[in-house]
Amino acid sequence: MPVAVSPNSRGYELPRGTDLTASGRKICARCIYDDSVHGIEFSDDGVCSYCKLIDRLTAQYGTGASQGTATFEELVRQIRESGLGKPYDVAIGVSGGTDSSYMLWLAKEYGLRPLAVHYDNTWNTAIATQNIFKVTSALGIDLHTHVCDNREADDIFRSFMLAGVPEVDGSTDIALAEVMYRAATRFNIGYVFEGHSFIAEGVSPLGKAYIDGAYIADLHRKFGNRPMRTFPNMTFARFLYWTTVCRIQKVRPLWYLPYSKEDARSFLSTNFGWQDYGGHHLENRMTAFHHSYYTPRKFGLDQRNNSLCASVRSGKISRQQALAAYRDPPHLESGLVEYVLKRLGFTATEFENLMSQPPRFYTEYRTYKRRFERCRPLFAVLAKRGLVPMSFYLKYCFPAKAPE
Amino acid sequence: MLRTRVIPALLVRDGCLVKTIRFGRFAYVGDPCNTVRIFNELEVDELLVLDISRDRAVRGPDLRLIADLADECFMPLGYGGGVRSLDDARAIFATGVEKVVVNTAAVARPDLIGEIATVYGSQAVIVSIDVKRGLLGAQTVRTGNGRRRTGLDSVAWAKEAARLGAGEILLTSIEREGTWDGFDLDLVHRVADAVTVPVIAHGGAGSLRDISDAVAKGGASAVALGSMVVFQKRGMGVLVNFPDTLSLKGIFG
Amino acid sequence: MITIIDYGMGNLGSVVNMLRRVEAECEVTGDPARIASASRILLPGVGAFDAAMERIDAAGIRQVLDDKALHQRVPVLGICLGMQLLTRGSEEGKRPGLGWIPADTRRLPGDLGIKIPHMGWNVAERTRQCPLTERLEGEIRFYFVHSYCVQTDDPRDTVLRTRYGVDFAAAVQRDNIMGAQFHPEKSHRFGMQLLRNFAELPC
Repeated sequence: MPVAVSPNSRGYELPRGTDLTASGRKICARCIYDDSVHGIEFSDDGVCSYCKLIDRLTAQYGTGASQGTATFEELVRQIRESGLGKPYDVAIGVSGGTDSSYMLWLAKEYGLRPLAVHYDNTWNTAIATQNIFKVTSALGIDLHTHVCDNREADDIFRSFMLAGVPEVDGSTDIALAEVMYRAATRFNIGYVFEGHSFIAEGVSPLGKAYIDGAYIADLHRKFGNRPMRTFPNMTFARFLYWTTVCRIQKVRPLWYLPYSKEDARSFLSTNFGWQDYGGHHLENRMTAFHHSYYTPRKFGLDQRNNSLCASVRSGKISRQQALAAYRDPPHLESGLVEYVLKRLGFTATEFENLMSQPPRFYTEYRTYKRRFERCRPLFAVLAKRGLVPMSFYLKYCFPAKAPE
Repeated sequence: MLRTRVIPALLVRDGCLVKTIRFGRFAYVGDPCNTVRIFNELEVDELLVLDISRDRAVRGPDLRLIADLADECFMPLGYGGGVRSLDDARAIFATGVEKVVVNTAAVARPDLIGEIATVYGSQAVIVSIDVKRGLLGAQTVRTGNGRRRTGLDSVAWAKEAARLGAGEILLTSIEREGTWDGFDLDLVHRVADAVTVPVIAHGGAGSLRDISDAVAKGGASAVALGSMVVFQKRGMGVLVNFPDTLSLKGIFG
Repeated sequence: MITIIDYGMGNLGSVVNMLRRVEAECEVTGDPARIASASRILLPGVGAFDAAMERIDAAGIRQVLDDKALHQRVPVLGICLGMQLLTRGSEEGKRPGLGWIPADTRRLPGDLGIKIPHMGWNVAERTRQCPLTERLEGEIRFYFVHSYCVQTDDPRDTVLRTRYGVDFAAAVQRDNIMGAQFHPEKSHRFGMQLLRNFAELPC
């Protein structure tokens, strides 16, 4: 488990990497998920339930095979048809990361006319903005951005930290989803591409982390200072409105088409001068702080295993290499913690106190979780119709074990 | 040799980064510190930050914000907005800012320019001149974020400012600002011709061609970019960016 | 640990800020006792030559600095005016300099039609290999603001050369004594690499 080393001269502790082999945990024979992963089971051959789930999904969707490609081509045909006479036919959420950048290219390859949509939480790195700029410029794609007021965004991040819960950057995910729907509606676009790939990212289980609009509102109400005006929160009512009234379809091309993050990265850099930022979503400073510092240090959660496992399953790296990479401490941009303190207005002492306070979880606050569970039949229908992602349905609409 | 300077000019209002069109129609752009941090990562040669909050002229500069911005900057930073006195300038320089930009206060009391230049050197003082054409086409100076008419002729004031010790003139065309329609080359040329100090052309840049025209046709020594560095392209979403070195080398030779 | 000498001149905040960003430990002090235990010394400076030499004397640190530089031979880096102070003397003033390198500080030529001070980014050419300038790649550039420049007796003591009207030493190194005429703390990646190199020098 990641353990903090003693404070350096800056007054705060740094997280270590995760040494699974020394931990004595049971590790999957194929990937590197260990027995601490929420909901994991191991079969007799030592392979974990997540590897098996991905095998099942791959077979079901025909990912990377002719079945998958055919399904996707049919979706493209529908998208093109629905977009006739309109300026754009599909909206694609972009972050400057590998998947979304690749999808911009993919959309053009298939003759679509995409609108790139970006939610700016005001914590972008130059790599993120440059990657978006280079790829959209080279492909001649228009960009729509929603920028949250920096003081509001910071107020929400601060609220999550004061609350002591793990999802410090969760608000960004909800905001992006809401912004995608708004943009799609505003520009009369019926389809949204999402860059999720269960093969490249794994399927992250609903464990200790959770996010929805009610949760954000509740933490903001309890710990925030500024009125929420420009932050695009997604209420339950709006969620239903987008999915049942506007009927915007969510498509995940990478569930159908052959895809590897490593190949995508070299393709993007050769063709667009795209730059790697060293890890999943580390192109945004708040996400980087969340994944590389906050959750490892406060919750013992080192989620780099998700992408490492994906690389192992696709044969890009060996299990040994993955375990070694996992042992290294997470990469931290120089001065990142100081930057967080500065923006969120914490002294080093206040920060240390927050980090050492006992963790709290979503179950202690107001969320839509029970409502999602009660509306399971509705969401089952919506999932089947592609109006909500199947992974949302599986993750949110079934009772989950409460985190300890 | 020193090459032509291309400088991102950022506008701050009430602690947020904004962008205007013709000094009005505020569009929200993002967080000032994060944006400065991005330009630092992009390794721009220098940066200008102008605080256009309503009551800066009365309240003076926000030193805490300036210090936060200076901390993110590992290249020369010029700051303007509410610089009223030598004391204000002193406090600003103490945060690590390289140059102060004076506008309204300099028109009200021109001696301010010399006062700062005497202590810190001319090279540390930029006089910012905002220009709007009057009804008869005369290019006159405005202060107070473009709201107040001064009746001063832009060329005459630029000459006076240079004489009093300004190291550089930041010349902004209010009509062109935020429009992507190109610089007011006539204005740039008339001022650049009249003074020996460097003139930074500002207001209207929409393309690399505009940048090279400001220098080749306008006689500007440097160019400040606003909309071009905070939007993906004309009429599109916010996206912080900066022309890459190769492109800039291409237009300047 | 880099000991930054505080003798009342120079904007130390920016230098400290960049050292922190490159994760180099540093302290700021004007106390002769602390300077005496320094393992690496950084001498900053902005302003006039004579005023700086006066302040150093008035602060009572001249002796300990001479001792560290010339006898204990710890790595020393003078920045901007701090580099000029390393020389025998300057045309700007009347006082002798520290004299730690055989060099003089001369006025930049005002009669060539170029603007004085030299202010802005300029290119530096590597004249010989040196640990201080390692890993500076491509076209090496720094941000300069100065009216006087350093000319070393021995050309090999100049490790980076820049031209502004005349060729002058942008950086020097002679044994443990080093100097940078430019502002590393305003020269982003180039300044960071130089300071990183200084921080990593064996001592």
